[in-house]
Amino acid sequence: MTKSVLVIGGGVTGVAIAYDLASRGLSVTLVERGSLGAGTSGRTHGLLHSGCRYIADAEVARECYSENVTLRRIAPFLFEKNGGLFVAVTEDDLRYKDFFLKQCERAGIPVEEVPREEALRLEPNLNPDLKAAVKVPDGTFDPLKVILSFAASAKLSGAVIKPFNEVVGFKVEGGRVTSVKVLDKTVPREYEVKPDFVVNATGAWADKVARLAGLRVPVKPSPGVMVALDGRIGNMVFNRLNKPGDGDIIVHHRGTSVVGTTSWVVEDPDSVKPPREHVELMVKRGSELAPIVSRLKIKAVYVSSRPLIGEGAASTGREVSRSFAVIDHSRDGAENFVSIIGGKFTTARLMAEKLGDFVAERLGAAKESQTASRPLAPYWLFFEG
Amino acid sequence: MRFRVVIKRVKAGGEPRFDAFDVEADPSESVLDVVERISLEKDRTLAFEHACHHGVCGACGMVINGVERLACITRIGEVAKGGVVVLEPLRGFKVISDLAVDKSRMFGKYKLVTPSTLEIVDGGLQEVQLEKLYDCIECGICYSACPIANTFPEYLGPSLLALISKSGDGKVPAVVDSRAGVWACHAAFECSVRCPVGFKPGESIMRLRRRLLKGELRVEG
Ligand SMILES: Cc1cc2nc3c(=O)[nH]c(=O)nc-3n(C[C@H](O)[C@H](O)[C@H](O)COP(=O)(O)OP(=O)(O)OC[C@H]3O[C@@H](n4cnc5c(N)ncnc54)[C@H](O)[C@@H]3O)c2cc1C
Ligand code: SF4
Ligand code: FES
Repeated sequence: MTKSVLVIGGGVTGVAIAYDLASRGLSVTLVERGSLGAGTSGRTHGLLHSGCRYIADAEVARECYSENVTLRRIAPFLFEKNGGLFVAVTEDDLRYKDFFLKQCERAGIPVEEVPREEALRLEPNLNPDLKAAVKVPDGTFDPLKVILSFAASAKLSGAVIKPFNEVVGFKVEGGRVTSVKVLDKTVPREYEVKPDFVVNATGAWADKVARLAGLRVPVKPSPGVMVALDGRIGNMVFNRLNKPGDGDIIVHHRGTSVVGTTSWVVEDPDSVKPPREHVELMVKRGSELAPIVSRLKIKAVYVSSRPLIGEGAASTGREVSRSFAVIDHSRDGAENFVSIIGGKFTTARLMAEKLGDFVAERLGAAKESQTASRPLAPYWLFFEG
Repeated sequence: MRFRVVIKRVKAGGEPRFDAFDVEADPSESVLDVVERISLEKDRTLAFEHACHHGVCGACGMVINGVERLACITRIGEVAKGGVVVLEPLRGFKVISDLAVDKSRMFGKYKLVTPSTLEIVDGGLQEVQLEKLYDCIECGICYSACPIANTFPEYLGPSLLALISKSGDGKVPAVVDSRAGVWACHAAFECSVRCPVGFKPGESIMRLRRRLLKGELRVEG
């Protein structure tokens, strides 16, 4: 009989997992407490990473770049592919350049230093005093549409996707989850499901959800503030040529530009508000990259929490690894329960493939992941049938 | 400041009702942030759509004090009347629950016309052409504001016709040149007035009509 899997969380990780598992022939249901993308995934910067932002760790950067290439191939209609520029504004930035270029080479990311005049010709709103610029294969996306494309692909492979369905409890007996209690907000009523396997893909909420089953997940919710400007000031992504820091990136897509971001650590991702001083900092630091930032009206300020992998005493969240972790709960008393945290929006497909391998092995499903080679369904197909 | 947020509630099988929530909020906070807080602190069964929180994904369209808006870029202090804000789902769509609507009447018609989602723009100073996503964020506000879309379910609708007119390569599917296409429009221009990103669907429909009348477009299928 086909084995059933319940995926909890309708962020990009959850929908990519639902797609991976359903296309391996498993019977998949995904539940999300809000609408799809209502958590962190909907509220990202929208940067299809080239990997250059994490270049200090060449392996993480390589992983990012390879996913960037895969996503452009399987879903070209989802991405603005105008590239990015890493720009040195200060002498300190300039000193970072050689290390940056060397690491890009190590990671196999095709980058190209461009003369100052060329950079300003390509992007006239950049700081005219810039000292160096490197062109990188960044891209941008509308997060919701990417999420819906994965969800549409999952649906076409037979998965059932249920927004407005929140997991509110688990029954754990004899070392396994025997049933999951879900609140359907559209009715509203509570019901129980008895899946063969449970995947906790709730990102920054992963510990809150695991606790309902008496388990723990070492996730550190690490929020970041983003400031959306009323207008689009460039085509290529603007990055500061330096170690990742506050307010060092401006991402343009559709008719807007977004300056980001900050990073700190909180206990509960449900009670985060953007601190006013972070907004001021974004505008100040953003104007160092592109002076026009300080003259534009702010359209929106928003905040969301990274699901960073915990352990160790990190205080800002920036020291913590940005790669992902699959947490097998069989050792703590639930053999059919797994959590996945970390990663980036850009690497969600890869995370899903690795998690899919894990679940497929546990459930004895033989099929390999095909998500890297099959075209992703267009997002509008999510709304059919 | 204290606000009273009144929300139209619709649950499966039940009668619609209005629930009032009294909340403390900074007038500069977005309506969406306040709704999200209500859902977390006061009523976890409240259903509404949201994702980007900065006006680019189109998820959070709703009727706010009688007017279609994106809740994420609407400041509560600017729309409250006497401290009261009434929230209702977009018109012209089936309600899933509360403020969440089923947008299949818009997206479901894409298969008839498969519009492009990427706009190729003139690179300006650059020799290369640039690719960007169309500015239409597919929020459905134009359907809600349009008197025809509200009463004629087969109508392709303002945003879809606008997308077709922009991605045009001189050809349009026959459905565009039919009663469900450009000829349904009564030129009320409510769509253009309410569109939160200035995509001007009304003007695009008029342009499509002119081009059809002049024989500038090839009608296929
Ligand atoms: C400020 C910021 C900027 C970022 N920018 C980028 C970027 O530009 N590019 C990039 O690649 N990455 C970016 N990231 C990282 C990326 O956004 C995240 O790593 C990714 O979105 C995490 O996805 P997720 O699906 O794991 O989590 P989420 O998207 O948070 O999904 C988890 C879901 O679980 C749901 N949930 C919680 N509890 C329950 C429950 N009890 N029952 C059912 N559902 C539940 C939540 O509602 C949520 O939707 C950024 C992160 C931050 C914070
Ligand atoms: S045309 Fe404007 S109102 Fe209509 S869906 Fe697009 S963005 Fe929304
Ligand atoms: S949440 Fe995306 S447009 Fe409002």
